[in-house]
Amino acid sequence: MTKHETDFRNGVATPEVSRRAFIITAAAAGGGMVLGISSATEAQATNTTGYPGVQTKAPEFTNHISITPDNKVIVRATKMEIGNGVLTSIAMIATEELGCDWSTVSAEYVLPSRNLAENNVYSKTGVLAYFAGRSTGKEMMDQMLQAGASARERLKAAAAQKWNVPAGEIKAEKSMLIHEASGKKATYGEMAEAAAAVKLDKEPAPKPHSQWTFLTKTSQKRLNLPLILDGSAKYGIDIQVPGMVYATVRHVPSHGGRLKSYNFEAIKAMPGVRAVVVIDPDEKRAGLPGNAVAPMGFSATTNGPQAAVAVIADHYWQAKVALDLLPIEWDPGEGKQWTNTAKVYETIAAAAKDAGKGNIIRQIGDVDAALKDGKKVEAEFMTPYNDHFLMEPLNGTALVTADKVEVWVPTQHPQQAMYVTADETGVPPEKVTVYPTYVGMGCGRRIYGDDVRTVVAIAKKVQGTPVKVIWTREEMTRQGRYRDLAAASFTATLGPDGMPKAVDINQAATRSSGRNLSDTPYATNIPNFRVRTKVFNTNLMTGPFRGPMYTSNLFFLETFINQLAETAKIDAVEYRRKLLANYPDPGWVKVLDEVAQKANWGQSLPKGTAQGVAIGNWAMANTKEGAPVPNTGSTVAAIVMVEVSRRGQVSIPRVDIAMDLGTVMNQEGVRAQMEGGVIMGLSAGLLEEININNGAVVEGNLDTYRVLRQNDPLLPQEIHVHFGGNTNHERLSEAGEPPMGPPPAAFAHAYFKATGKWLTRQPLTKYMA
Amino acid sequence: MAFELKINGKQVSVDADPQTPLLWVLRDHLQMTGTKYGCGINQCGACTVTIDGQAARSCNIPAAQAVGRTIVTIEGLSPDRTHAVQKAWAELDVPQCGYCQAGQMMAAVGLLARNPNPTDADIDQAMNNLCRCGTYVRIRAAVKRAAELV
Ligand code: FES
Ligand code: FES
Repeated sequence: MTKHETDFRNGVATPEVSRRAFIITAAAAGGGMVLGISSATEAQATNTTGYPGVQTKAPEFTNHISITPDNKVIVRATKMEIGNGVLTSIAMIATEELGCDWSTVSAEYVLPSRNLAENNVYSKTGVLAYFAGRSTGKEMMDQMLQAGASARERLKAAAAQKWNVPAGEIKAEKSMLIHEASGKKATYGEMAEAAAAVKLDKEPAPKPHSQWTFLTKTSQKRLNLPLILDGSAKYGIDIQVPGMVYATVRHVPSHGGRLKSYNFEAIKAMPGVRAVVVIDPDEKRAGLPGNAVAPMGFSATTNGPQAAVAVIADHYWQAKVALDLLPIEWDPGEGKQWTNTAKVYETIAAAAKDAGKGNIIRQIGDVDAALKDGKKVEAEFMTPYNDHFLMEPLNGTALVTADKVEVWVPTQHPQQAMYVTADETGVPPEKVTVYPTYVGMGCGRRIYGDDVRTVVAIAKKVQGTPVKVIWTREEMTRQGRYRDLAAASFTATLGPDGMPKAVDINQAATRSSGRNLSDTPYATNIPNFRVRTKVFNTNLMTGPFRGPMYTSNLFFLETFINQLAETAKIDAVEYRRKLLANYPDPGWVKVLDEVAQKANWGQSLPKGTAQGVAIGNWAMANTKEGAPVPNTGSTVAAIVMVEVSRRGQVSIPRVDIAMDLGTVMNQEGVRAQMEGGVIMGLSAGLLEEININNGAVVEGNLDTYRVLRQNDPLLPQEIHVHFGGNTNHERLSEAGEPPMGPPPAAFAHAYFKATGKWLTRQPLTKYMA
Repeated sequence: MAFELKINGKQVSVDADPQTPLLWVLRDHLQMTGTKYGCGINQCGACTVTIDGQAARSCNIPAAQAVGRTIVTIEGLSPDRTHAVQKAWAELDVPQCGYCQAGQMMAAVGLLARNPNPTDADIDQAMNNLCRCGTYVRIRAAVKRAAELV
């Protein structure tokens, strides 16, 4: 039997079931699970060791801080731990003001359902309140510092009342309240219950940054380190909900296509198989009630439903084996025009060259006139689609009933997950509980909630039964939200001094962004400067890739600057110093000087070995005209050493990286982000490429998609992170995305110096001699 | 079909198709989720355990093949995170997201069992696991530190 699943009623379709499926449905009805799991079973799933969403009951001082009678501090955070240490940072910020002993501190997630029930008290900072990116943004810092200060003053007030002394005479330090004159002492825990009830006349003001003793002064290891060491940290894929079954899913390989048919009979009798369910993108979704807003929005190309078929079985392995054997026919839809990668590249390169129709996003002077004379330099660049290739495959577990949904998911944005769930199931947001877990890396792949939509779209077809859905690695790679595809053509003329008189940039990309192109501080010293952009798309979906468009634009610009410097025969660091001479943010030159000095830039090296340089800024603010705002974002410079052996073997003996984040809050945490970013940035720029075949992604797993590994000849042998470039500006900017940018351009520069060949297309290794 | 496995010093009974990869027997049937799924094709090493003291990728081994052998997973490395590899990993603050690290640590255990003083090249060969967070430089240092601590 081959059939479409068309029997949709109220958005809930009947799955094709094997006989076994009736058994679970019946058991569910008899066992009370139709109404959602009981609190006892919920506790089993979420109150286990290693689950960061546990909601410990303890006196609450503020929305963000609880202290238990046995003197443990719990900091409640809206930021999910994706590997960047954000949960630890949040706890550190509160600790600075609370004055507690760091060894007593732990952190828990605040569920988005609690936020909703409490009138969005946790998301006052807007759509990014629940975004697991940075923790040190001003709003988040202010909120957590205030929470710490408020809790501390309540503790003092409670002690003052109990001891009958003025609160001003009490010291709060290392989790102890001390009144020196009377010799009275108590732990925070002993005073917690009384303190939580204190009403202050006025909330205390947090101290100025200059008086910090913990932040910026100490480095702390991630709070969940012990849980990682013994395997007890609970990622989404580890969640066990009593009575759950497993599913694995295949979405239409050509993004945006449709399901034609499938044949359940072929797998129906296979061991453990219970049902096949279909996700129909054309089925009407519920939308959100009233004034509810999904922080990351809904759109067809980010988190809209995609045609898919899932097999549900008793165990994951059974579901996977059966899905591999399930005959499925797809209609590739519009994607079929993209017959191969070469066609895509030709089309985007042509769009980048055809400057005429571009959208002018920055214009200084008269570029056309200035291009007429002087030494001309031209170049064309391209960066392909890349997959995030996060180590934890997409997954989620959901239990849907008629009026309630529970979802366990490794997400970068659980609030978004909650609203996507409401849209997909028609259950109102206040009846949706999302339990976020630890996350096996994020990098922007887990913000839209497309994964959550698939999970609940499957679970809603087997109401009353919890389902854990796990993507195979191949499925995750083929259903990416890839790094944007981008191409650019550059033209410049140099003056007699070798410096650019005019630079003309035409870029085409799958996302509109001039970051690190149109907003470059170099333009403050280039008299004629123009950037035009165009948006070009295939059917493949794209998303943030540890800095949307950052790694593409920066590679283009910095490689071109190196080409100009080499053409002018001026040292590339010196060339940049000159270009930056008029720019009022001192961080850029400071970072360059720091990295150049530490890497011993200019040292004489054996033939075949060379150094290359690049610099950029992630998260820099722009003026209305598109000019850079000084002292914003994170400026990062890298020097990469490349060695090309006589047999042509290429290796990277050393990478140096320096940054200006303003002020560094947790130095060792930043160091780890910098090291990891260098590796991921080089991997993406040197090795990775997603190919397309009739609208579908070719690569699926590590046998075809090369990612930098321990034994890769291109793994940097040493990475040196330098902090001397920080300007001590008051901002505490982020560290995750910034190191992704400069290394590939610095590599290409060094490779040119070693071989005489410019690499202008990524993945760079594909174009090496 | 029921069969027995010896995991972390305990004899456990499993009711599963013996052809199921050991990884999924551990994770789904025994609720031992410290061992991770990454690629399923013997490439990434997230699923590494030791079998008879040697590092093995459990996604690629039918459970039947592990019967009668001694399996150790991350949960069984030590009762209190004091195995030399765990201590070295903590000291050098290796993990970022942590997802790959159980596999990394088990690969290190396997390496050190057969080579107590590995060189950089030995480490790079034996520790061919994927870490998307890019903790490789620290992993190499931590393996050396663990060698000192053993
Ligand atoms: S999951 Fe076994 S090697 Fe990747
Ligand atoms: S620590 Fe995240 S993948 Fe290795």
